[in-house]
Amino acid sequence: MRARTWRRHLVPYLLIAPAIVYLALFFAYPMYEGLVLAIYDDDALLPLRSEPTSDAAEVAEIPQGTGLQILDRQSRAMIDDGGGDLLTEQWFRVSGAGDTGAAVDGWVSEARIRVREEDAAGNPLAGTVRPRLGQSADPLTDVHAEPNDRSGVVGRLEQRAPVAITEVALLEVWFLVQPADDPGAAAGWAPSRYLQVFDDGESGRVHRGTAGEFTTAFIERMVDDRFFGPALRTTLLIMALLIPLQLVLALVMALVIHARIRFSSGFLYVFALPIGMSDLAVGILFFSIFTGNGLLNSILDGLGIIDGPFAFLTAETTNWIIFAIVLAELWRATSIVMVILVAGLQAIPDETLEAAELFGAGYWQRVRHIMLPLLRPSIQVALILRTILAFQVFAVVIALSGGDVVTVLANESFRQYVDLRNDNVASAYALFILLLSIASAVFYLRSVRAESEVRAS
Amino acid sequence: MAEIRLEQVTKRFGDKVAVHDTSLTIADREFLVLLGPSGCGKTTLLRAIAGLGMADSGRITIGGRDVTYLPPGQRQISMVFQSYAIFPHMTVRDNIGFGLQMNKVDKAEISRRVGSAAELLHIEDLLDRRPSAMSGGQRQRVAVARALAMEAKVLLMDEPLSNLDALLRLEMRAELKRLLADVDATTVYVTHDQIEALSMGDRVAVMRDGEIQQCDAPNTVYESPSNRFVGSFIGNPPMNFLDGAILRSDDDVVVAVGHHEFSPASGVRPLIRDLSGNRVTLGIRAENMETLTAPGPDTVPVRVDVVEPLGAQNLLTVQVAGHRLKVSTHPTLRVAADDELHIRFPADQIRWIDPATDKVLHTR
Repeated sequence: MRARTWRRHLVPYLLIAPAIVYLALFFAYPMYEGLVLAIYDDDALLPLRSEPTSDAAEVAEIPQGTGLQILDRQSRAMIDDGGGDLLTEQWFRVSGAGDTGAAVDGWVSEARIRVREEDAAGNPLAGTVRPRLGQSADPLTDVHAEPNDRSGVVGRLEQRAPVAITEVALLEVWFLVQPADDPGAAAGWAPSRYLQVFDDGESGRVHRGTAGEFTTAFIERMVDDRFFGPALRTTLLIMALLIPLQLVLALVMALVIHARIRFSSGFLYVFALPIGMSDLAVGILFFSIFTGNGLLNSILDGLGIIDGPFAFLTAETTNWIIFAIVLAELWRATSIVMVILVAGLQAIPDETLEAAELFGAGYWQRVRHIMLPLLRPSIQVALILRTILAFQVFAVVIALSGGDVVTVLANESFRQYVDLRNDNVASAYALFILLLSIASAVFYLRSVRAESEVRAS
Repeated sequence: MAEIRLEQVTKRFGDKVAVHDTSLTIADREFLVLLGPSGCGKTTLLRAIAGLGMADSGRITIGGRDVTYLPPGQRQISMVFQSYAIFPHMTVRDNIGFGLQMNKVDKAEISRRVGSAAELLHIEDLLDRRPSAMSGGQRQRVAVARALAMEAKVLLMDEPLSNLDALLRLEMRAELKRLLADVDATTVYVTHDQIEALSMGDRVAVMRDGEIQQCDAPNTVYESPSNRFVGSFIGNPPMNFLDGAILRSDDDVVVAVGHHEFSPASGVRPLIRDLSGNRVTLGIRAENMETLTAPGPDTVPVRVDVVEPLGAQNLLTVQVAGHRLKVSTHPTLRVAADDELHIRFPADQIRWIDPATDKVLHTR
């Protein structure tokens, strides 16, 4: 019995399982990644190791950008954890006659061998030992057991001695480094790919790390950005102008359609037409109206109101640009609100409105006392939708201002990502827009619910 | 005075005529029931009186005032809707007071009238609640209270009990009748339920296909229907109909149904004689036939097909000359299927119907 109820309760969960997988894959995961991008710097810290190998113990973690003093270098077999600007060295396995006359077979750095002979594919076959310049230089070259200058010496070669090259190894250089401004700090080894080296290998800095940490750096950079303030202000200004206008206009349109006067279905099609247009197309359309030789100037000029074309869309006339943006958005998106309100009006039973009429309510009294209160849930949905869309306004702004003179939050996210190649700060902008959207939705839901609770009690 | 007068009112929806050339006078303070099957135009007629959908032609006056083209709000009427049409976002108090508030009645008067209407319908303790959490019966009471609070001269009711369950409907029917007896309003009540119509109305107007077939007191409508439709629509079981042949002789007329000859009551004899054809239809209600176990004078032998015991009566289905009749008998009469019975048709209970017009022949 209990098993059966359990099974019965499981069925809905099985049915929504695909939806949960879908949400996880296409909604939650990208959101999570975006969040991580905005607040988690995944190459903030570089671990230093006790030996020049990635298996060795960590002696310290130093942050990205730290100035370094380079104490030593060594070549090590490549660690294969991705690319980067590698500093590499080739080592050759050579065989030839040693300084004692005995045969020597071992590894020598490419710096000590001049390649004399290559096969068709360019692989070295034979060479000679480079001579060392200078009076005090050691005339002999060490031959190592392993392709590593710390390994044991198996023999020595005279300079200019001919050798056969039997094998080639590609090695990465490791540096023994210590933070430059802290002589007391522990020194450790790090591979070349994470460092930038200056001054002939005397000093350097940490280019990027391998370990991440949470950081507010990207958010700080967003807030400190000189376009952040204007973008936020403009976005809020457009919202404050747009949403009340849109609501009133959409309500009037919805009432016209609901009144079922002649041609009201024709009105519906005309009103709904802009829903089918892309926002960029609408932006370009309004650009063509407001631009220097555009429709508006032609009309004003033709009517003799102005003498020459008035430049509406310039850096000196940002108010006109904002006016044009609000007008374009009003034209484009009011019908979405209208459709929601029409659906809400149609959900009010005819008898309810007839009862109000019969009990003496005139048209405006019916709108005020019956339709508006019963439309409240639809208005709430429309407000949430419009506010969220207003936070995302983008293409119209780009079309009318080029994205420089007047900027909005979504445009800043775009600019950070595309122009400045800073996907972390771009993510921080996106996250900020998301937070504003959630906050506005919660505000609308709360305010309406609070009111209905007050009325119910 | 609020006499409602309909003069040749017609209402069409596209090609369909919902109410056809209907004239009717409803006296002041009368309770008139519009009764008919679905689609007969009774609700359309009520809505025409209310002003919800103007009449296409004709004239409507209320208390001598021509309201044909007035909007509903100016007709000084009030109404109970079939779906109740309670305003879901208002408290019961605001619902009941809505019409008064719209008509700018002063606050003290509104609260007095809302209070007394609520008291009449026993919903005083619901006044501050919202209708969304209420049962159908409670909403119904709110709708009636809202209509009564208007204290209008005309009260219209559109199938107010049809959305209630059977038991509640029975209870509300009696309560509504008691309430409306005390209200000084001319009431028009639409229903498709004949029991509601017969039990509540001062007069019942039976409608069919947009026309009023008969408008009389409930007893009259039941006992002497004006035509075959009214007889078959009212009563449960409906009136029985038998086809008969008119046998005219020099000084007498009889009607033969099968092997049996009926002598009509003296009053209708000349009317039957004057009928143009040779056929006449005989109508009689189930409870107006006498059932006898032995043959007597003027009895017709019948075979019982079905016996349905209904508690207060037994309903028999019997065969007479190829017709099936429903006969109701006293429950003490012991009878089973296939038994033979004898039935007497009292001459004064038989209604004679002209088959050409379906009209009942009236003696006057």
